[in-house]
Amino acid sequence: MCGLEFPTNANVIVGLQRADDAGVYRVNDELALIQTVDFFTPIVDDPYWFGQIAAANALSDVYAMGGIPKTAMNLVAFPLKDMDMTVLRQIIQGGLDKMTEASVVLVGGHSIEDTELKYGLSVTGFIHPDRVLTKKGLLAGDSLILTKPLGTGIINTAIKGGLASGETVEGVTRLMAQLNKDAAEIMERYPVHACTDITGFGLLGHLAEMLAESSLSMRLSSRTIPVIQGTLEYAAMGLVPAGTFKNREYRECMVEFSSSVDRLMQDVLFDAQTSGGLLICVDGKKAEGLLEALQNGGVPEATLIGEVIPGPAGKIVVD
Amino acid sequence: MTKTLDCRGLACPAPVLQTKEIIERHRPGEVRVIVDNEAAKQNVSRFLGTQHFEISFEEEGADFHVIGTASGAPLSDATAEEPGTHQGKKKIMVMVSTDRMGHGDDELGLKLMVSFLKTLKEMGDELWRLVFVNNGVKLTISDSEVLPILKGLEQEGIYILVCGTCLTHFDLLEQKQVGETTNMLDIVTAMQLADKVINL
Repeated sequence: MCGLEFPTNANVIVGLQRADDAGVYRVNDELALIQTVDFFTPIVDDPYWFGQIAAANALSDVYAMGGIPKTAMNLVAFPLKDMDMTVLRQIIQGGLDKMTEASVVLVGGHSIEDTELKYGLSVTGFIHPDRVLTKKGLLAGDSLILTKPLGTGIINTAIKGGLASGETVEGVTRLMAQLNKDAAEIMERYPVHACTDITGFGLLGHLAEMLAESSLSMRLSSRTIPVIQGTLEYAAMGLVPAGTFKNREYRECMVEFSSSVDRLMQDVLFDAQTSGGLLICVDGKKAEGLLEALQNGGVPEATLIGEVIPGPAGKIVVD
Repeated sequence: MTKTLDCRGLACPAPVLQTKEIIERHRPGEVRVIVDNEAAKQNVSRFLGTQHFEISFEEEGADFHVIGTASGAPLSDATAEEPGTHQGKKKIMVMVSTDRMGHGDDELGLKLMVSFLKTLKEMGDELWRLVFVNNGVKLTISDSEVLPILKGLEQEGIYILVCGTCLTHFDLLEQKQVGETTNMLDIVTAMQLADKVINL
């Protein structure tokens, strides 16, 4: 995108100038529109669950901004010559059911023929212009809460290699298909300063984004970070996806690991996630309250994983 | 014996999966995996580590060679002492050089062979190698009455070796349905490493 000139607009609250999870455009003093789009190639073998995961993944960016998704449109690329239409029907049904679960209306879509199957959504959401949560609003003293465990990248690699048990496949499928809706609704009642969702850059990658160009620092307690069962075993077997290595290469200069964090755990912290949880920066004094509300409100795996500290600038210390 | 695997251009987890397959199938004393990216180099070396190989690296241009040496492997070319299951236990090798058990009546001989192979699993962990030579190779081809039994033994981790020279002699090379084609060096080495060799 370098070298392209983008015109500015006074109504853009979040746009390309400070890229975030979604774009936000002010309509009036009470309402801003959130716009986001996400699509990808199959994550799991079952077409219905692929539809569910793709939809949950696309909707997540609206929740990460603190908004409510309202309408969506399907994006479909389908290999008509090689695949039966029943597969597409199941994918769309999966997506539709997830949208219904989120009270999102499907208002249309677009499909093209392609050699490679892809599915996702373009989503529009609503938010109050003064309540937009970006990745950048964090303050020293904030606590970091993560709402879903880590490991989907490594586990999906194990699944691709036919080395994961049926139980593991089912568990990670459900996790990826889980909406961040409950977490978003609960956090609205608390003094949250910044929020993002954990996806392709891994936990450390997304935290680094939040810290970049700030004078702040973060301290994480690796022992508390929730990890999907089996992840470390698969990582030990060398089932770490290429994306995870890239994340490490890109951001390791910002991270300091203490000697108690072994290499496998480091990989998990850089592991590229699919449809991960929310990473919430909440006023430290209210963290326990938010945590309890999340755990009792349908987000049982919400965990306090660290805090934002005054400095050194742009560093993440992991104990 | 060194097994070399070229995994350049393969997306993960293919390099690890192919390495896994080679190790399980051949139990080599040394394996050399060629990869062209850092991720594959780390993944493969990590995997070999879990399989009790000692790791070393070589670079060739932009490629990496990940070399795994089975711990305790002799420096010679002979089949190495393989890690894991058989350490500390007796290793029994059964050499089947005919497709009937005993002499005198062929029909009875076949019945006895079927029964013998079915009962072999009673040796438990000590059954280490099952080798077929001469007429014995005929027990490993399609339509063999004992094929399901042999496949079952293979699935339980028993290494089944079938003489390649013999298969070729009978023109049955394409019809082998179970086990791995082997040569006289492997057979002789296996006899040397075995604690007990039973000849049929």
